[in-house]
Amino acid sequence: MLIEMQQVEKVYRLGKIDVPALCGIDLQIEANEYVAVMGPSGSGKSTLMNIVGCLDSPTAGRYLLDGENVSHLSDNQLSEIRSRKIGFVFQTFNLMPRATALRNVELPLIYAGVPSGRRRQLAVQALEKVGLSDRIKHKPSELSGGQRQRVAIARALVTEPALILADEPTGNLDSTTGQEIMEILSALHRAGNTVILVTHEKELAAQTGRTIGLRDGRIETQEEAAQSAAAEQAGSIGLTPR
Amino acid sequence: MILGENILLALQSLRANPLRSFLTLVGIAVGIGAVLYVVVLGQITEKRIKQRLESLGSNVLLIRPGYSRMRGVRTGESVVNLKWSDAREIVSTSEVIAETVPTYTAPGVAQYKDQSWNTRITGTVPAYEAVNNDRPIEGHFFTQEETNQRARVCVLGATVHEKLFGNASPIGEPLTIKSKRYTVVGLLGAKGESWWNPDDQIFIPLTTAQERLFGVDHLSTILAQMRSSRDYDEALFDIETILRRNHRLQADQDNDFRVRRQDLYLATVQETTKEIANFVILIALVSLMVGGIGIANVMLVSVTERIREIGVRRAIGAKKIHVLLQFLIEAMVLGLLGGVLGLAAGLVFIRVMTGEALILPWNWIGYSFAICAGIGVAAGLYPALRAANRNVIEALRYE
Ligand SMILES: Nc1ncnc2c1ncn2[C@@H]1O[C@H](COP(=O)(O)OP(=O)(O)O)[C@@H](O)[C@H]1O
Ligand SMILES: [Mg+2]
Repeated sequence: MLIEMQQVEKVYRLGKIDVPALCGIDLQIEANEYVAVMGPSGSGKSTLMNIVGCLDSPTAGRYLLDGENVSHLSDNQLSEIRSRKIGFVFQTFNLMPRATALRNVELPLIYAGVPSGRRRQLAVQALEKVGLSDRIKHKPSELSGGQRQRVAIARALVTEPALILADEPTGNLDSTTGQEIMEILSALHRAGNTVILVTHEKELAAQTGRTIGLRDGRIETQEEAAQSAAAEQAGSIGLTPR
Repeated sequence: MILGENILLALQSLRANPLRSFLTLVGIAVGIGAVLYVVVLGQITEKRIKQRLESLGSNVLLIRPGYSRMRGVRTGESVVNLKWSDAREIVSTSEVIAETVPTYTAPGVAQYKDQSWNTRITGTVPAYEAVNNDRPIEGHFFTQEETNQRARVCVLGATVHEKLFGNASPIGEPLTIKSKRYTVVGLLGAKGESWWNPDDQIFIPLTTAQERLFGVDHLSTILAQMRSSRDYDEALFDIETILRRNHRLQADQDNDFRVRRQDLYLATVQETTKEIANFVILIALVSLMVGGIGIANVMLVSVTERIREIGVRRAIGAKKIHVLLQFLIEAMVLGLLGGVLGLAAGLVFIRVMTGEALILPWNWIGYSFAICAGIGVAAGLYPALRAANRNVIEALRYE
């Protein structure tokens, strides 16, 4: 079991009022699953992703990531786990504007302490996987939205994380480009990665193996998708499994 | 491990805002440049004073007329009581004085062809050369015979030579002083300017100066060379006794002359130079502090502009210490660039102002870099801490 949550709660404190964002989440995700998280705005999707991605700690409950209890770790230890096990893909790409695609993809490796020669090699490989080997010297401003998001995906997968978290990665893209990004995520999943996708759109959620519906900080529905069996045939486009 | 990366990042971010970065550097640069200038100038002055001391020796006393007083209040006018006979009597009577050199100095204009130069004319005796260890680099100092004959001959200081002759040899050339022709017999080497310029001077025989040129019978100074600097107390006693007797001073009257040891006098000059230097360094420190505040300010702006970036870096694995270092190093690079700019400007300034072949004060350049790095770190610490301690999620959502 890659992710195991028991009665996870998150309460934000705004002055004297407590705002409950997550109330008693029980969730299990296996390695190499492809999971979508859906729900209306304010239902707690991002809060859940922040906790899953070790950006934040739950106020109550237990969270085991890869068998390790990460509910009450220090800031430093959480950074360490993010560096080793998590890859983030954001809605707004969040690339370093003055750095080339290559430097952007190298960045997580710098913090992971990978020596520079190896860093470059890994970054080039990751950019190849997202089909951008001819754009490695380009800056974000010289790339289209879809290309930027592919750089961001390369940055997320370059450390070979246990888990790739994508919070509305197609939210800022037109539907054609969005579909391209979805195909890359599917390919990553087929190659053995565990991917969690936050989305508003039913059609996108339908491309994953399982959809978790959130409402008011609770899990309301969980649906297995029919075609998830197809995902078993991994490795077809040359992505290395973890 | 990521030091190089951070320096690269820092330079990148400074390049993104060139004007802002430059303005921030100026405060630091001015401070460092000023310190360097003062330090080098101090060294140059010290070197010149040392050279003078070496050529003068520590065993020369300078006797000058006292100030005239009206009921104990100094009126500023020098007394005209120092005579050649005083000088002669000191050297013949005192056993610890080896030589005396009487001089009379007054302003005068020297002309050569269509050039004229406003300078000082010093009448003295041939012993001047040996006591001051000031040998002509061309020609010779005037002789005792020329002194006896009240000859119109002169020895030029380097500045006078340069102003009137340029690079040409002056030996044997005629010089006009007060419409009388003087023959140049010698040229002195340059001693360099310190608090006054000893090279801007023309030497003529004292007899010629007193009797033919200026028509006076008193002296400006008497240089008295002791046999040994250990004889100072005795020499002072002898000089006082002889001069008080010659000037017929009563027991209740003050000395109408002053005696000064050259080396001590130069030490005072050196002391004053140091005091001025300390003052300028104080001003430079204020400038450095202002520079530091500038860096802190720019770093705060820089951190605010990059909150989102900080969030992203933390999300992809940067620890607090990484973010802290990133901004600290950026501040330090700012400080160091200011230092480099200041040192460069200071060196150019010194070059232009003194024309000296520079002895680079490497230890000071080292200190400067340490100071600049220190200011950068101190100024960057608070902004960097703010950056490092930002909440990751809020930073990521920051617009
Ligand atoms: N930093 C915060 N401080 C206070 N309340 C917050 C904070 N972040 C989220 N919330 C609240 O928690 C709830 C869930 O938010 P979020 O997880 O962002 O929802 P979603 O991503 O599904 O739109 C909302 O009511 C939101 O207002
Ligand atoms: Mg959200």
